[in-house]
Amino acid sequence: MVQMLRSRSTTDSEGELSVGEVRANGLCMKTTEVEAKLDEGNIEEAESSLREGLSLNFEEARALLGRLEYQRGNVEGALRVFDGIDLQAAIQRLQPSFSERLHPRKGRSRIESLITVSQHAAGLVLEAIYLKAKSLQKLGRLTEAAHECKSVLDAVERIFHHGIPNVQVDSKLQETVSQAVELFPELWKQAGCYHEAMSAYRRALLSQWNLDNDCCARIQKGFAVFLLYSGVEAAPPSLAVQMDGSYVPRNNLEEAILLLMILMKKIYLGKTKWDPSVMEHLTFALSLCSQTSVLAKQLEEVMPGVFHRVDRWITLALCYSGAGQNSTSLNLLRKSLHKHERPDDLMALLLAAKICSEDSLLAAEGVGYAQRAISNTQGTDHHFKGVGLRMLGLCLAKQSKASLSDAERARLQSEALKKLNEAVPFERDNLDLIFELGVQYAEHRNLNVALRYAKRFIDATGGSISKGWRLLVMILSAQQRFSEAEAVTDAALNVTAKWEQGPLLRLKAKLKISESLPMDAIETFCSLLALAQAQRKSLGPRPSVHQVDDDRVNEFEVWYGVATLYSSLSHWRDAEICLGKARELKEYSVELLHAEGVKFEGHGQIQEALAAYINALLLDPGYVPCKILIGALLLKMGSKAFPVVRSLLSDALRIEPTNRMAWYYLGMAHRDDGRIADATDCFQAASILEESDPIESFSSIL
Amino acid sequence: MSETIPTTSDSSSLDSISKVQSTIQALSHIVTVVPPSLSSSPNPSLALLHDPQITSQISSLLRQPNSGAGDNNLCRWLYDTFQSSDPNLQLVVLRFIPIIAGVYLSRVLRKHLAGFEAVLLALYAHETTSRAGQAITVNVPDLSHSSIYHETKAPLKKDDTEQNLAVVSPSLEPHGTVRSSRRARIVGVALELYYSKISQMPVGSKVDFCEFCVVWAGQNGDMYKEGGVQEKGISGTTESEKEREVNEGRIPLPWELLQPVLRILGHCLMGPTKNKELSEAASAACRSLYARSLHDIDPKAILATESLLRLGKLELQSNNDFDPTDIPKSHLITL
Repeated sequence: MVQMLRSRSTTDSEGELSVGEVRANGLCMKTTEVEAKLDEGNIEEAESSLREGLSLNFEEARALLGRLEYQRGNVEGALRVFDGIDLQAAIQRLQPSFSERLHPRKGRSRIESLITVSQHAAGLVLEAIYLKAKSLQKLGRLTEAAHECKSVLDAVERIFHHGIPNVQVDSKLQETVSQAVELFPELWKQAGCYHEAMSAYRRALLSQWNLDNDCCARIQKGFAVFLLYSGVEAAPPSLAVQMDGSYVPRNNLEEAILLLMILMKKIYLGKTKWDPSVMEHLTFALSLCSQTSVLAKQLEEVMPGVFHRVDRWITLALCYSGAGQNSTSLNLLRKSLHKHERPDDLMALLLAAKICSEDSLLAAEGVGYAQRAISNTQGTDHHFKGVGLRMLGLCLAKQSKASLSDAERARLQSEALKKLNEAVPFERDNLDLIFELGVQYAEHRNLNVALRYAKRFIDATGGSISKGWRLLVMILSAQQRFSEAEAVTDAALNVTAKWEQGPLLRLKAKLKISESLPMDAIETFCSLLALAQAQRKSLGPRPSVHQVDDDRVNEFEVWYGVATLYSSLSHWRDAEICLGKARELKEYSVELLHAEGVKFEGHGQIQEALAAYINALLLDPGYVPCKILIGALLLKMGSKAFPVVRSLLSDALRIEPTNRMAWYYLGMAHRDDGRIADATDCFQAASILEESDPIESFSSIL
Repeated sequence: MSETIPTTSDSSSLDSISKVQSTIQALSHIVTVVPPSLSSSPNPSLALLHDPQITSQISSLLRQPNSGAGDNNLCRWLYDTFQSSDPNLQLVVLRFIPIIAGVYLSRVLRKHLAGFEAVLLALYAHETTSRAGQAITVNVPDLSHSSIYHETKAPLKKDDTEQNLAVVSPSLEPHGTVRSSRRARIVGVALELYYSKISQMPVGSKVDFCEFCVVWAGQNGDMYKEGGVQEKGISGTTESEKEREVNEGRIPLPWELLQPVLRILGHCLMGPTKNKELSEAASAACRSLYARSLHDIDPKAILATESLLRLGKLELQSNNDFDPTDIPKSHLITL
């Protein structure tokens, strides 16, 4: 009875290690004598001295010699020794003894001993082949090495028909099998045979090799990395391994993500130890697919103590913000920026400021984050100063929208422009900044400067970004340069693919309305509807939940636009048809109630009109057009209603300070009340605004 | 380390060889020196792909200030070579995509570059046809569904709840010209095609790509080098000059362009064949793109570039000597 043991404790740092002793069958001998013979090239003599010294048979002695040579670092010598054994014949001999174990009626102990003996023999032979493969690998003969390694696996599969059972397997044999399973794909990979490597990985992971958790995790990670980065597309797994109802990856990314998620799960379950790179690979893979919300879920499952909590919060904030869930993201950032956590983290401050800059109610908070960010841009972070200033400018501009007094609004607006301009020297080539300056100047009604920025943005982007064209058209329309605006729209349509022409066509229709060309406008609306229908056909009825289609035409908006146009022409029947179409798409909306009210008013049904407007306000208390219309209606009802009218219109102006219709009716209210000076001011404001009124509000474009 | 060598053993090889010969013949009118070994090579298209002399000549022609015009001979040659529909010759064209895309995107605002556009559109059309215009999607797995890699083979949950379907590359519509709003997408698709063949691309081509990433990012990423900036301000002027040069090529990086860029960078950094020059170039590109994504405060881009940066660092720190497939060393062998 021979058995193999090994001591792991002594590993030299000097690389190759000299073996001191070999032991077998209760005998022991020093290796110096054998090694001397090997050095002289006398394999036969070395072999016979081992056979005599340890009473071994030929194969055992050869296997031992090979291992001795391998471990001494003499891989060429090891190869010569292994070549002397007919390993294939040895494998052939192994099989019958194993098939006996399939007859369960025989004496238990006899079979067990038989199995152990055969397993020992198998272990010896397989280790020899394995070491041969390793020797070939070290010599750079990778394809040959892969073939040797494959023969180990083939032999194991022939010996164990139903996979390796996890009991009754000699630990030595199992170790060789595991190593061979792990080495096999690695060899093909090193040999540059990527398709073979793919199938080797699959074979390793989809057959029963009884691998331990760490070994299996290493192979899974190796395969995931290979799938993610090799650039070679794997064929889908064979039908044989596919199970009914189970998930089968169809491409590299799916398979890599699946493996990495399984690895993460093994880590939580404590089956294998934490490996930071697994999380990084998963982050990379999921962000490539824009699935950062899935990534957030994975991060939330990571056990406490692995990441610092602030790091985790910030990464989660990035994930949620990337998935469009900005309020969740902001909550996480608030936690991490708390004074007891990491109040000076630049990335968190900047992201928080950016999120706040998109909401007028949060903008004031964002100003604080941006200011903290700016004061933290020292040393190597100096290059962020411009980003901080830019965010500060955007937050101030947004904050001005929510301010209650004119004076404060004006102050915030000019402050915003100042900060954006301060950012320019730092972010000279940042095109977003140029665009934002254009929008801010336009909102400030400094149209000539705004025009310059809009043109610069278009030049610098080569007209590749549609919002640049839209801004230019809106600025030109505010300057009442309609024909130029139309020419720009046509130029923009020319460089824009059909699919993305929606917003431009919408502008064009509005331009036509402003030019009092209703029939042309209706024609443009028709092409918008055609586009909407084409998009619906190819993209499906509704925009997908996770991926927002910016290019998609809003069909509701189009029908509503046509309806408004018809009702302005008093074509009530046509208007009604269009409203019906719009209602099919969205049943309850302020716009529809607004349009209905206009229709009632047109028919002289004042009470019904008023009811419709008030319903609209109940739906959205901040809906400015209805506030103005109610004001206008009440104005006609006599002096008792004047205070209500004034408060409605002032409210409208608080929300939209540049709404000329609000100024106009407020002027009317003052006039009817006898305050002529106030009325004059309001009319003047309305008239100035009319001269600089864009066809769409400037802030709609940011 | 040996590269995979596609063998041309089928019956059509004669036809393909004559195609390659005429391609090389055509090239000899454009570049000054065509090594005679090229035609006599057993696999001329592979030799063409890897020949350093030819590569450097074509590269410098592509980088010339007047390259890429509609009547440019080299662009015509690249276009014709790609249209030959010989997969090995197409690889030769793809090899130069980093330079073509790089020069094109940085220069197109000032110049009309019909030659480059023709090549890029040919690639785009090829990809559109081979995908039948379909989008590439990923069905993000959910571990509560059993899968081929689950250890317990019983289906855990039968009812098929919604899975996350992610669009990796949206559907493609045919384009006959490069409309500026589709420019990023067309170049992005050309890069997707490049990525699909990247394992056959020579290292030099990938290095070119990484260098252009730095230019496109327009942001110096040296502060994210391992151990921070060491040699800061050796001479103020050269640094700002370098900065200037980097900034001039800065371009908008919408996701449709950035996503394929990041996939290619992932390969350059973590791919199966390790090369020192390539991984240094790829790390520099990652640093620049990371800095850029921070300046843009683009969460998805920050996550992706940051993970690549960290993986690059982990790779450096990892103990390369440890080989789990090697047998443990011991002073004592016991049988």
